[in-house]
Amino acid sequence: MSNLRTEEFDINMGPHHPSTHGVCRLLLTMDGEKVVKVVPYIGYLHRAIEKICENRTYAMCIPILDRFEYVTAMSCNYVFSLAAERLSGIEVPERAEYLRVIMLELNRIASHLIFFGTTAMDIGALTPFLYALREREYIMDLFEMTCGQRLTYNYIRVGGVSKDIPNEFTPKCRETVATISDKVEEYKRLLNGNPIWKMRTIGVGKLDADLALAYGVSGPILRASGVDYDLRRDDPYSIYDRFDYNIPIYQNGDVYDRYMIRLDEIQESCKIVAQALDQIEDGPIRAKVSPNFKPAAGETYTRIENSRGEMGVYLVSDGTKKPFRVKARGGSYPHLQLLPEIATNCMIADLVAIFASFDVILPEVDR
Amino acid sequence: MNNEELKAYIESHYGSQLTYNEAGKYDLLFEVDASNLVTVCEKLKNDSELLFDYFCNLSGADTTERFEAIYNLASTKKKIRLDIKVILPHENPVVNSVQTIWPAANWYEREMWELYGIHINNHDNLTRFLLHDEWDEGFPMRKDWDAPDFIRFPDL
Amino acid sequence: MIAVGITVALKEILASFGLSGGLLSVVTYAILASATFGLLSVLALFLVWWERKIAGHMQQRFGPMRNGWHGWYQTLVDGLKLLQKEDVRVATRDKVVFFWAPVMCFIAAFAAYIVIPFGDGLIVADLNIGILYIMAITTFTVISLLMAGWGSNNKYALLGGMRSAAQVVSYEVPMVASILVVVLYAGSLSTVDIVNSQAGNFLNWNIFRVPYGPLAFLTYLVAAIAEANRTPFDLAEAEQELVAGFNIEYSGMKFAMFFLAEFINLFTVSAIAVILFFGGWHGFEFIPSFVWFFLKTFAVVFLLIMIRWTYPRMRVDQLMEFAWKFLVPLTFLNIIIAAIFKHFGWYWEL
Repeated sequence: MSNLRTEEFDINMGPHHPSTHGVCRLLLTMDGEKVVKVVPYIGYLHRAIEKICENRTYAMCIPILDRFEYVTAMSCNYVFSLAAERLSGIEVPERAEYLRVIMLELNRIASHLIFFGTTAMDIGALTPFLYALREREYIMDLFEMTCGQRLTYNYIRVGGVSKDIPNEFTPKCRETVATISDKVEEYKRLLNGNPIWKMRTIGVGKLDADLALAYGVSGPILRASGVDYDLRRDDPYSIYDRFDYNIPIYQNGDVYDRYMIRLDEIQESCKIVAQALDQIEDGPIRAKVSPNFKPAAGETYTRIENSRGEMGVYLVSDGTKKPFRVKARGGSYPHLQLLPEIATNCMIADLVAIFASFDVILPEVDR
Repeated sequence: MNNEELKAYIESHYGSQLTYNEAGKYDLLFEVDASNLVTVCEKLKNDSELLFDYFCNLSGADTTERFEAIYNLASTKKKIRLDIKVILPHENPVVNSVQTIWPAANWYEREMWELYGIHINNHDNLTRFLLHDEWDEGFPMRKDWDAPDFIRFPDL
Repeated sequence: MIAVGITVALKEILASFGLSGGLLSVVTYAILASATFGLLSVLALFLVWWERKIAGHMQQRFGPMRNGWHGWYQTLVDGLKLLQKEDVRVATRDKVVFFWAPVMCFIAAFAAYIVIPFGDGLIVADLNIGILYIMAITTFTVISLLMAGWGSNNKYALLGGMRSAAQVVSYEVPMVASILVVVLYAGSLSTVDIVNSQAGNFLNWNIFRVPYGPLAFLTYLVAAIAEANRTPFDLAEAEQELVAGFNIEYSGMKFAMFFLAEFINLFTVSAIAVILFFGGWHGFEFIPSFVWFFLKTFAVVFLLIMIRWTYPRMRVDQLMEFAWKFLVPLTFLNIIIAAIFKHFGWYWEL
């Protein structure tokens, strides 16, 4: 057998491939089923968001940045507004802070539901995807009810939020988070006891804490590797200190842990939303901010905990009504950079599982 | 360690290399000379009081007179944040790579090189990736860059 | 029990028209083959629709709803659409292999039905090596998949073809071994004999004969899913890994042939399961035998569809390990147990 001639071959996974979640090209060098080398190629979705923002006023930047990471567009709105507020020292009304937290956490749930569905689908189970979308639909309805949009919201503005929630929002939102919290238990029952699911995820794509930190990995993936670091607590912003919630930590850093941590986070986010709905009081929803407002000259790097890790905006103001420099930093960017490190010498099926567990979204990478 | 303590600590220990810049509104911003960058970063990472083990972001900026490279660092153990700014001349901007300290910097540096034309020394893979491979229309994030009326795409 | 089979009856009818000798046989089998072909085509269309409906209802949706009552002729119009589509052919394909792969797949899927009894006497030819023949002819499918993978001149297709070859060859062993258990008991390879050995009370069905029946059925079912290339063993066309696997370059009617063959294979493995383990056409006498056969087979098909939409996919090395390290020893052990029980007569006959 040993004198049989074998040779490695290159295969293009993407730009259009069912499991690259967008247009990412992975150039794989394969030895049969085994992946010898992975080289990610990005840029197929580069829309020059940062350059466009330099030519827009602050208010006009927010809908552009919606497209930066469209699965959690609320976070994009929020991080930019927060940066502008920090530059100009605007105080946000109490009610607006609560509304922001509710929306951010609902959006985190929606994003994690997408993760759950697509990961299960990439590992071959098609049905959980539709279950996850069913639950996400309730959240989309809530967003639609509030701001009229289902994907790119333009809801969180500099100084507050654009609209107040309608009356029927609160009861419906309570019901939704309660339902989703229950459904997550159902998801766990559906997949966690499944031996094939366990075979495919446990021990696959192990990422240890040192490597994760070295590559700037953040968010659920970092916490799945045993690093207790959540920006909501460790780099406080908004009013997260008023809520009682846990930050789930897992130790192994494999696909299974990355999947479990997100399901746990959905439940924690449900808790936050429920508490926020209890605590919220009437009041103004926006500080007085001119559409052409000019923050003081200065710069800040603002970061928040997004569902895909740290989402940051480096914002430079020169005192005019347009931002001088906007640099958007998404969580997926370093994750995709890390992919060759842990996906080398695994099977192609594992590569797909690892890619799915990173929850990479390409608009965030290419911007 | 809050921002004042961190500022005092850095000024007492790294005062010779890092100078405080008040442009940073919310976070601490220090300037560093391009030649000192790598050594300072190495020290910041290994200092047992700071442990800047986490590389958040690197952004370039063009003020039309000069280039800036801003390194946003964080420590997961000490829960602190620090920004470091390197000021580069407008002609021939060159900065040393920090990817030996934080491998995460690799792609950020590549992107900065591609969009701002800031050359990176000791970078292992300085190739285009956001723009297409045959791009020769200059560096689009520079302030003086004018969008060409017609962009040639490579023949496939 | 009908004394004469449908073949004999048809021969007699044709002979009354004055046909005889070789021509009689040719005409008889031509008619039977067309009838089977027609039946199976309708069946395949139905199965596609049925699977989509079941999948839909499992996934909180309805599946096809637009064409007719609950979309009953959806697959028919899908088929018409595929028929009209341009047959896209890659310039770098291997012309001969690329063309013949879907044809071969189609033929292999249909040829198995020569020895499948749809009811009492409803069998084209009762070969005395029936089960062996089915095993042999269905293995052609793997050759056609390999041909499709090779002929497409596409790396994904090749990977898919190689995967299916490795998979089907590995799972052939436990499949044959679990069938052997039944053959051991029935003492014949003929499908009709196997079914008749389970006549009488339903406790006579092989699945209820302690203790090898249920185990043999389970191992057969696992191997059958692998043979039919369905989730959790659908590695050959693993959508998320290989885009569409072996049939990535096929379009139009060629794709439809693969697609229909896949559903025919689904029905085949279910029908064999019914013949081997569920007493074939036997049931209460007041319901016609072919109704029993179809009811039982659809029950097995339903089970397979449920499995498909529930489980994730296995990885290729896990698949091989499962076949060779677990299924093969288990089925061999089962044969030995069955042989011992058979030797001492530790089974019932009601």
